[in-house]
Amino acid sequence: MAFQPATIDPSNPLGPYIGAYIARSTAKNVKAGGGGAVTAILLYLLDKKKIDGVVAAKKTRGIKGEIVLAKTREEILMAAGNRWSIVPYTMRLKETLMSTDIRRVAFVGLPCQAQFLRQMKMFPLMEGDFADKIFVIISLFCMGTFAVESFTDYLARNYNVPLEEVENIDIEGDYLVIFYSGKKLRLPIESIIYHVQHGCILCPDYTGVFADISAGRASREGYTLILTRNRLADSIVNNAAYDGYLEISEATEEEIRYAREKALDKLNRSLKYIMRIL
Amino acid sequence: MSGKTSILIYDLGGCEGCPLSIMRSYPRLARIYDVHAKCIGNADIERQYNYAIITGPICLNSQRHIEELKKIRKNSKILIAYGSCASVGGIILYARGGQEPRPDHRVYAPISKIVRVDFSIPGCPPAPQMLISLLGCIRSGRGYFLDLFKAVSAYSKLSGFDLMDEVVLTGICVGCGACVLSCPTNALHMVDGRPDLIVEKCIRCGTCTVRCPRFTQILIQRYKLRERAKMLASLVGGE
Repeated sequence: MAFQPATIDPSNPLGPYIGAYIARSTAKNVKAGGGGAVTAILLYLLDKKKIDGVVAAKKTRGIKGEIVLAKTREEILMAAGNRWSIVPYTMRLKETLMSTDIRRVAFVGLPCQAQFLRQMKMFPLMEGDFADKIFVIISLFCMGTFAVESFTDYLARNYNVPLEEVENIDIEGDYLVIFYSGKKLRLPIESIIYHVQHGCILCPDYTGVFADISAGRASREGYTLILTRNRLADSIVNNAAYDGYLEISEATEEEIRYAREKALDKLNRSLKYIMRIL
Repeated sequence: MSGKTSILIYDLGGCEGCPLSIMRSYPRLARIYDVHAKCIGNADIERQYNYAIITGPICLNSQRHIEELKKIRKNSKILIAYGSCASVGGIILYARGGQEPRPDHRVYAPISKIVRVDFSIPGCPPAPQMLISLLGCIRSGRGYFLDLFKAVSAYSKLSGFDLMDEVVLTGICVGCGACVLSCPTNALHMVDGRPDLIVEKCIRCGTCTVRCPRFTQILIQRYKLRERAKMLASLVGGE
């Protein structure tokens, strides 16, 4: 039977999972948020021919991105890194997946996209549903995405940061750090919360409870926290570690508590706001 | 035969898309369940069933159909409205009379207007795999998507129009694109990273609404509130 979580509730904000690991990539050339563990898992799956490609979002310009099907190691490495806006899955995803030379792909996305694909996989409401080609759904931890225009406008107006020159955005503690044309801008998170999309403020899901594997920043610098939610996912992570792509260790109580707190924050925020729009 | 869970599959009318879709899952269904259907020749609405699966809208002018439906509700433990017409109205809500045999939008309705429905499955038509995984999920208990299909049963209309009103125009759409990929008629398309509805193409099947991460959340929360209100009402003695 396919995997299906119950409603996300405050007693278990991380959703059901069978394994929790702290991981990082063994390869040195992986540049990604946290420990690059997701990239390592994808490289393992591709090298071992378990998948033909990876559907992921790739940064194009500034903080905008587009959806790509990465079929080689290089393309996967190109798509690694933090993502700060949502990338819509327009008809191109369907076309890519419907093409005959693709048999199985891994999908990397956000909790909301994982929910949609899980539903499509479990409950195909249409004859044309194409989710059975998706071998594994990987969700990244998500605190919300920016309303792109609003945020870039804010940056340009108040800090003279042009959209084209934003290279990367990262989080350091309670600050958001924007890297642009060789410079660094530190903004407190409270000041930019207004530029997060309203829908993301309503979203209760931090880790992606509908995904097979959830991964995201661990409290330990340079590491990724991985939650595996079914046996398939657990074996993928363990085999990737066994074959030397990944170094893993069981997550400590502290690490899980750290993720739990963040998940609870998002859940509480969601419950607070959803009552206003019912 | 007797050990298996019994299912009644009953069609009230419509385009026959849903019965055809279910028919394609018969071989697998019959291995797990004791299937009763008109096309097999053993549909008997007088006996008891564990599950009843109703396809097609109910014609409010037809005494016979309404009585049949009520009888099925009485004789089955779980009633499932399967397909858009039975669950959320579907394209039949557009019927305005005038064409032969003169259907009228006041005459056809989703079956939740007549009887209590346990699970409503939109989809025009739902794919054959749907029924098998749904029945499996109902058997194995509770889950997010079951809650969702239960919540849909409280609605008598869900469509691209509701998606626009409740999610896109209120500004809570995050632009994930789930609705665009779900639409069977390509009535939704992305404009500036947000979905837009081509009204002439929407057949009111409701697929986009149950695929939208935000709308599903709203549906489930509203259903919970409704249940709580009902409970309170029953405590003070009203209905």
